Amino acid sequence: MTPTPMPSEVHRPAHGDAPLEPVERLRTDSRPTPTPRRSWWSRLERFFFEQRVPYGMAAVRILLCATLLCVVLPRWFHAREFYSTDGAPAPLADNYGWMDFLPIPSGPLAVALMSLLAFALISALIGWHTRLSLGIAAVVYPYLNMLDCLSSMTKYSVISSHALLLLALSRCGDVWSVDAWRRGLARRRSLLDPAIRWPRSPIWPQRLMQLMIGIVYFGAALTKMQTPEYFNGDQLLYWLMSNVNNDNPVGEWLTLTPWILVFFAYIAVVWEVLFPFLVWQPRGRLWMLGIGALFHIMTTLTLGLFIFPAVCISIYFCFLTERDVRRALRLVRRWRRRLKVRPALRRVQPAIGAAFGRITAQLRGRLGPATYAAVAGTAVVLGLIAEYALDPYGLRRPEGPYALQPLSQEEVARMLSPSPPIRHKDKLVAFDVGTWMISELMVNRRTEFRHGEYALAQVRLAPPHEDLWVECNLHDAEDRVLDRVGQIVTRSMTRASFIYRLTNALEPGVYQLVCRINGTEVARKAFRLHGQGWLPATAPADAEPPSAQPLEHIETVSR
Amino acid sequence: MKRFAAAGFIAGYLGFLGLGIVSHGLHYGEGAHPLMYFVVWDMFCGWSAYSSRSHLIAEGESGTFYRLTPTPWGEYHPYAHLGRQHYDSFGNHLHTIAANVLRHTRHEPIRRVIAVEETWAKKYNLPDPVWKRHFSEPKEPHHYFHVTALYTPDGRIVARRPMWVDYQASLCVADNPRLLAESRRTQPAFALTPNQRFYNPHMAPLWERAFTPAIPSDPPLGDAR
Repeated sequence: MTPTPMPSEVHRPAHGDAPLEPVERLRTDSRPTPTPRRSWWSRLERFFFEQRVPYGMAAVRILLCATLLCVVLPRWFHAREFYSTDGAPAPLADNYGWMDFLPIPSGPLAVALMSLLAFALISALIGWHTRLSLGIAAVVYPYLNMLDCLSSMTKYSVISSHALLLLALSRCGDVWSVDAWRRGLARRRSLLDPAIRWPRSPIWPQRLMQLMIGIVYFGAALTKMQTPEYFNGDQLLYWLMSNVNNDNPVGEWLTLTPWILVFFAYIAVVWEVLFPFLVWQPRGRLWMLGIGALFHIMTTLTLGLFIFPAVCISIYFCFLTERDVRRALRLVRRWRRRLKVRPALRRVQPAIGAAFGRITAQLRGRLGPATYAAVAGTAVVLGLIAEYALDPYGLRRPEGPYALQPLSQEEVARMLSPSPPIRHKDKLVAFDVGTWMISELMVNRRTEFRHGEYALAQVRLAPPHEDLWVECNLHDAEDRVLDRVGQIVTRSMTRASFIYRLTNALEPGVYQLVCRINGTEVARKAFRLHGQGWLPATAPADAEPPSAQPLEHIETVSR
Repeated sequence: MKRFAAAGFIAGYLGFLGLGIVSHGLHYGEGAHPLMYFVVWDMFCGWSAYSSRSHLIAEGESGTFYRLTPTPWGEYHPYAHLGRQHYDSFGNHLHTIAANVLRHTRHEPIRRVIAVEETWAKKYNLPDPVWKRHFSEPKEPHHYFHVTALYTPDGRIVARRPMWVDYQASLCVADNPRLLAESRRTQPAFALTPNQRFYNPHMAPLWERAFTPAIPSDPPLGDAR
């Protein structure tokens, strides 16, 4: 056995030295080859200009265009109303004080642009004249969105606009596209065939998209860090109670455990800050993207968002590498073998080839720029004709334009009568009683206590409110006041906590904590006090907690 | 050449994104230009404790009031089941929606258009099973209505006042006699100044004057029953 040489024993040939003897070569080969050190400039150059097959960008192209079509097609019917001088555009620039920042098109032009956008997204999705299609989409999509900040422009439109621009600059049409098929790259082969030698191109557009995602998350974390209400759970709570998006039943149930929201709030910020730094490592990438996908799926379940998560998860595919694609293809092949898809395909392939071979051969030669321009023009003209026929304002109906509907006197009185001051009960967000708080939020709502325990009562208030006198009084089952505790809650405060020590001065039985704001009762919670020997495990397990039962019921029981 | 162009684009693009981060981090120039919206990532930055909806009504010369929203030809619901006007958080574009409806419908001559905000506490959005777990009390939502603006039929703004939550916040601040006296003492002698006075609680009577006599003023802050 050859002893492992000490580093000093290894002969390192200088440039121009004679070649090593076989034994010496063996010795040197046994050491790990030192990686040549690169300067930061060459590493940066490699980071941006390495030649790679743009699988990731192709996947983003397909998924993002499909997602955007889901919003662009329904908006097409309202193009005249949202984006034209014949409607009610709401330019984003007006909110910034930049009046007339962008020209607003006429009704027909807005419809034509929207039709062109829909066509460009479809052709980009299938990869037909990909760069041109994405270029059109990258210009028209943000332009129209900027004309309607009410129903079109959101942060997902912004992220999509960035992504469309970067896709247009990339060679994403070289892979999995009609363009590739026209060039004969995938002729007589499945698009997933590993034998296809897809062209390589500089990776910088993909890198910019990856950096953009990291910067978006970093910026979002900055916003959260500047918002104290985010970390105390108040803002998250109000998001979950909002119904301006789609239904969010999971979010509504989560309002019962606000301390979990605080926990997730911190996780989200830590993840957003770490994302741009860790996503470049193979293991870090898996974690960051995995948590990201989970985060966005949770926004669907808790906030009722659909398009935003779909856009974000679509652009995550820019992190796809050639290795990932090879692995995925191996997996697909394995499943095809298991499911015996290939033999079945082999049987039908000749028939399909015979039927469509001639057509596809003819089609391939006729999908050039002239055809593209003709189809785009046709789409625009058909769009204009269809919109005219649909008559969105109903101006050409036989009965004439729509008539305004009168309001009843009651409705008018309801809307125009003076608004009363905010009711005190509306200022209350929650009144919880328990024994344990995390981050000033009740963790365990309790309705059963025993002597010697502390009962924590927490009042959470909704801003805005004036300086308030908030009481949390102890009443017995007969509603007699046993103790009265109050505190000033200034306008900047949203929480008030009260602690009651349940000593043996109180007889076992039913009690109530009554919350009053400026002397007006706004909420009450009933609880049962047990003697010293009582243990929570021995308490009867009710289907409904006593606090959820009518108070009369508890009083009856106590009598 | 191509590589130089690409390098230039990379530097410019990353610089643009970086500008947004720095601007947002330092709160400097965030609203300087509409394009800042493309690089400032302030998602979910200000959701209030109250739900809000916008209504547009028109008063005809006969004294009849008409509903302008939902639009008579059908509404587009961009994000859920709500019409577009409900997403105008600051009421900046309601006048264009009103003017568009009036342009494309049959109606008597219109005297004026009124923007009304409807508000209620968000806790009443909770479904009944969740509500029962939060509160022992019955769910009794109260909807507050608040006139935010008056427009001419062609969409010009005649008068405007803050949205309901901001208005309530200013009332809470005004609930301080010492502060109010100080504010009154330093009030300028000018009837009109170039600055908007929406957030000065002392100006509330002036808004009310602008809205009278058709729209009664809100009562002062007091104990609610």
